[in-house]
Amino acid sequence: MKPDLESLIEAYLDGSITASQMQQLNALLLINAEARREFAEILNVDSALAAMAADWTQEQAVPQIIRPVSRPARWLTSPPWVAAAASIALFLLGGWWWQDSQRGFARVEKAAGITNLREGASLRSESVQLAAGTVSLISARGARIIIEAPAEFRFESAQRLHMKRGRLSADVPPAAKGFTVITPSGDAVDLGTRFGVDVPSRGAAEVHVFQGEVIAKANGAPAKQSLRTGDAVMFDTGANTSRELRSAAFIQADEMRELTAGLAAGQRVQSDAALAELKRDPALIALMDFESDESLPGVFRNVQGRWPGSHAPEFVNIGDHLKLDVGSEHDWPQLTLAAWVRIDRLGAPYQSLLHTDGWSKNNPGQVHWMINRDTTMRLALIGNTLAPEANERDGHPDSLIPVLPEQGRWVHLATVYDSQAKTVRFYLNGQFDKETRLAIAYPARLGSAQIGNWDRQDRKLSGRVDELLLLGRAMSDPEIRALHAAGNPYR
Amino acid sequence: MSPAETERHHRFLRSFTAHEPAIRAHVRRLVPARADADDVMQEISVVLWEKFDSFRDGADFRAWAFGVARFEVLAWLRDRGRDRLVLDEEVITKIAEETTAEEPRLQRQREALEHCMKKVPADQRDLLMQAYQPESRIQEVAQGSGRTVAGFYQWLHRMRKLLLDCIRRALTQEEVAS
Repeated sequence: MKPDLESLIEAYLDGSITASQMQQLNALLLINAEARREFAEILNVDSALAAMAADWTQEQAVPQIIRPVSRPARWLTSPPWVAAAASIALFLLGGWWWQDSQRGFARVEKAAGITNLREGASLRSESVQLAAGTVSLISARGARIIIEAPAEFRFESAQRLHMKRGRLSADVPPAAKGFTVITPSGDAVDLGTRFGVDVPSRGAAEVHVFQGEVIAKANGAPAKQSLRTGDAVMFDTGANTSRELRSAAFIQADEMRELTAGLAAGQRVQSDAALAELKRDPALIALMDFESDESLPGVFRNVQGRWPGSHAPEFVNIGDHLKLDVGSEHDWPQLTLAAWVRIDRLGAPYQSLLHTDGWSKNNPGQVHWMINRDTTMRLALIGNTLAPEANERDGHPDSLIPVLPEQGRWVHLATVYDSQAKTVRFYLNGQFDKETRLAIAYPARLGSAQIGNWDRQDRKLSGRVDELLLLGRAMSDPEIRALHAAGNPYR
Repeated sequence: MSPAETERHHRFLRSFTAHEPAIRAHVRRLVPARADADDVMQEISVVLWEKFDSFRDGADFRAWAFGVARFEVLAWLRDRGRDRLVLDEEVITKIAEETTAEEPRLQRQREALEHCMKKVPADQRDLLMQAYQPESRIQEVAQGSGRTVAGFYQWLHRMRKLLLDCIRRALTQEEVAS
């Protein structure tokens, strides 16, 4: 006999259902979406009746004996006036219902430097292109997704996001477990909680798990791979290749808030004004803001800098570097070096900020500026020696405070060298950190140099460099403070 | 409690109170009896508060709570529902997912109940409300109405069915009108 859904539901609700009926009901509900809908709606009425009864007062409850009618109740089937009354009653409900049914797969929470997405706007399956900026989205299931330009993406549903390119970080609550990012080279399925996906314009996508678990599957790969906290892979033609975690390469919620506030406060205008001022400084050797169209020599990715639509070289792979050749016309008794950098991770023993190529004993004054493994900053000039009282572990002037923030952040690094005063001064985010005194101090020599690497395995910087300044004079503490304040993207 | 904790608690209570009926209805659709739903709801409210730290401001509280509720229902079924006749996990997962997506319509149906109840003659309305009282004993209510328990259940089913028909008709009418 064909199981009758209605009688099965009745037995289930009575508590009189038998084991074999329960099996039938389960089987029916499993395969038949229409049956599930019927089931859910009847139980929905049941819970609405219970909610109504809970508010029912004793006065309303009628104590006398009542006989329920046995004929079909006509009051419920009389269509015209019931429907009319219903329309009126429900018109009042209509407002929010309409809004709710129009709700998209995600809504724009914050938009920093984005012109084509409004805060509060709702996204459905339309394709979105972001030329510049960063956007924070909340999916209908509560996942927070932050996407950095240049990017192109579209939602297939609240749980499925297609990323053609761009960089995304996702924070997925239990309700959105299973949230999936689909890239041209593979898929990432989140099992909770935080992960990043980088889809570069050229090359394979990468998945980085900050916390929790993600299932990654490269297109054409025979098996899925479970990634845990701290794991990262690249979707390499049909296989997952292990990568090193670069969690700081991704913009997450805290930073998004500060970036949005910084933009709103007009930081970018300040920064542009300060740059224009610097370019007029007679002692300027070079100011690289990476905004010119001419391509710079080297191997690196061109990604977004501190500002929406601005550019910065990013060093990801072994051997990535950027070349420059400035300041070889004469020696520099005083030198200020400053840069905005975003370090993705601690990797190589040294991460190069600026390494001159002519470093050799016969060429005193050649400059090496880098980040040490313990995340302090170093300024070494070949031939220089420390003053007797200088307290340095490694024989070179090193800064005191670690320059690597716990989370992804742009930091401002600066060092001021004065061969006449025989001092090296370090600054982090505009704040004076430490001074090292020298015994022998050669004037600085520049010339051909590399940023982000130095022809060696152990010097690769992992991250981005924005606005690199080389100035042939010693900047004062207030000047460095102002330089940081003007270029700070955060608030 | 520190001022920050008090503030957090207030925020939680505001959200929870606003969405409690929807969460309860969601749970009710997944467990066999109303009393089971009450049981699980107590667990859920505790878990929601414990996990409120992980809930991001501005996110959809209801969607978050539905997700938590589903896990709690499954845990409850594995635990106390073992020797009962209950829905399979797979069925629960499907219904939970579908009704989460359908919640706006389901909520509208629940709200339309009041309208349809007005059309029920007073004596029958009272009887329904007696049967749905939190502590009601169906046997007594059935006896009071002069029916057998089986006959009374039959009547309850018919009423639910008629009310659902009325609700669906009313909503269809509304959709056409808008």
